[in-house]
Amino acid sequence: MHLSDRVTGLCLALLGSLAFWGGSRLPAVPGQDVGPAAFPMVIGTGLVLCGLMIAFGIGHTFEVEEPAEREEAPGLAKLLGGLDWLAAFLPPVLLLFYVVAADRLGFLITAAIMLLVASRALGASWRLAIGVTVLAPPFVHLVFYKLLRVPLPDGPLTMPW
Amino acid sequence: MNALLDAIQMVATGEVLVAILASAVYGMVIGALPGLTATMATALLVPVTFYLSPIAAVATIITSSAMAIFSGDIPGCLMRIPGTPASAAYTDEAYALTRKGQAELALGASLWFSALGGIAGTVALMIMAPALAEMALSFSTFEYFWLSLLGLMCATLVARSSPIKAIASALLGLLVACVGIENPGGVPRFTFGSTDLLGGIEALPALVGVFAVSEIMRAMVSAPPPPLPNRKLGSILAGQWDLTKRFQKQMWRGNVIGVLIGALPGAGADMAAWVAYATSKKMSKTPEKFGTGYPEGLVESGAANNSALAGGWVPALLFGIPGDTITAIAIGVLYMKGLNPGPTLFSEKASSMYALYIVFMLANILMIPLGILMIRVSRQVLRAPRAVAMPLILLLCAVGAYAIGNNPFAVVLVAAFGVLGFVMERNGYPVAALVLGIVMGTMVEQNLVTSLIKSDGDILPFFERPVAAGLAFFTLAAIFWPAVVWLIRRLRPAAAAR
Repeated sequence: MHLSDRVTGLCLALLGSLAFWGGSRLPAVPGQDVGPAAFPMVIGTGLVLCGLMIAFGIGHTFEVEEPAEREEAPGLAKLLGGLDWLAAFLPPVLLLFYVVAADRLGFLITAAIMLLVASRALGASWRLAIGVTVLAPPFVHLVFYKLLRVPLPDGPLTMPW
Repeated sequence: MNALLDAIQMVATGEVLVAILASAVYGMVIGALPGLTATMATALLVPVTFYLSPIAAVATIITSSAMAIFSGDIPGCLMRIPGTPASAAYTDEAYALTRKGQAELALGASLWFSALGGIAGTVALMIMAPALAEMALSFSTFEYFWLSLLGLMCATLVARSSPIKAIASALLGLLVACVGIENPGGVPRFTFGSTDLLGGIEALPALVGVFAVSEIMRAMVSAPPPPLPNRKLGSILAGQWDLTKRFQKQMWRGNVIGVLIGALPGAGADMAAWVAYATSKKMSKTPEKFGTGYPEGLVESGAANNSALAGGWVPALLFGIPGDTITAIAIGVLYMKGLNPGPTLFSEKASSMYALYIVFMLANILMIPLGILMIRVSRQVLRAPRAVAMPLILLLCAVGAYAIGNNPFAVVLVAAFGVLGFVMERNGYPVAALVLGIVMGTMVEQNLVTSLIKSDGDILPFFERPVAAGLAFFTLAAIFWPAVVWLIRRLRPAAAAR
């Protein structure tokens, strides 16, 4: 997921100009010179300046170059071969899955699916992955639902507590 | 005196003591696991603090962060992988000692000087905070504006990255803080019609995303740490007293550096460790021994990162300005628990302040026995497969973020900030600056706008009061420092060529 400084710098400059433009359209407070528009416009200007400087490579000399060694990641990344960086996006996808599924499937099943997928993707053996899938959700449920009183959706499976 | 007795009573309850013990064990384990940082440990604790009394809530944060900063040294010593970024400065040194067969000395020095550093930091906090509170009472919005901006700029200075990228990260954080209706006009700003965004983007989902989810994302595409070599450990504390006597000056210097850098808004334990290690090497009579397994630098920087933790609470308690990413989280908890930061905290809630100092002391004393225990079982803890630890953390991120406001939107934010943090880190943008920008955005804006209204749009009053002028000088110096360094670097080869 390494992008060139030119790309990230221009993205920032674009975001900055959007912030400036969006800020400038905000309504002013009657009888007051400084309103909600001032701060986004200042930040927008700063972002445009920084973005352009980054795009032109200014300040690059300060960066500590990390040794670029290609690491062999197990599990999903290995399976994806050349597209291994895609594996990095599994955790946020699983979080979105939690948001969508928790109400329908309930906490226990959703958590179990998340754990199974994530642990297998990280290269856990089936035995280990199933072990954590079976044991962890009831424990987390106990701690959050019973001790901390966080409302967790029940779904088809309910716990005795 | 009454306040002190009240404080002892506040701490000596079952709830607080259990909270301290449990969060100590939790912090030790999280800190020891490579990739799981002290900040992440603290962020994941916040949902739990909702259900605790104010003192117990703050105690969990103080204790777990102190323990995590120490136990981050353990994998550094044994495997050359720092458990937390604050241990990175001296990991090579500690591992060199281990290779020489002196793992006990390295681990013992980390533990002993961490605890002493923590205690020294607490004493400094106890002395500095009330004295500064007197001064802070006379601060106006001008001083607060410069102080919060200085905090942000310090965070960009200390990042080991391009200062321009660091400033861009901080600006991005400030932009995130613009979202919502909490602005001078009370109008919906950058909410795009979403009701979820009306209340603004809270710092906590952002923190969990940036520090926890992005770490799990990184784990997906990196190799797991190598297994720990089998090694029998002897006595941990043997020889530490000798080291204390031998390197007394270094220890004190480390403590002072730690407290000062910690107290600097925006700079935390990791920076303190780097600066202390570099200072130690520079001042040493035998700098050539550094890096070969020589405890001098270890003593100084190990003391510095723990004393920085307590130092970080100085600006947090006095001004509500985070000293580091951990206190950025702590400030949220302080507000939530009615201990609103500010100079009046020391007069109105004196007993709570004393209770906080007692917790700091307890945590650092408890660190020694628990640390020895942790070192003894470190082989078992470090054997915990990453493929199990990371999915569990992911689940805790989801449940924890949801628990903050019983709102699924917080989980979406966590995911989004996870992606943002991952992409930023991969491309050299420091995420700590982003987080501080988010935390301090409202404060910077409020003080800027109020000051501008007071001065009728005039810039001059920003520099008229002596303290404001001093702070302005430091802030502007921090902003333009990279340009000066760049210029010097450009001129030096030219001068040499002549």
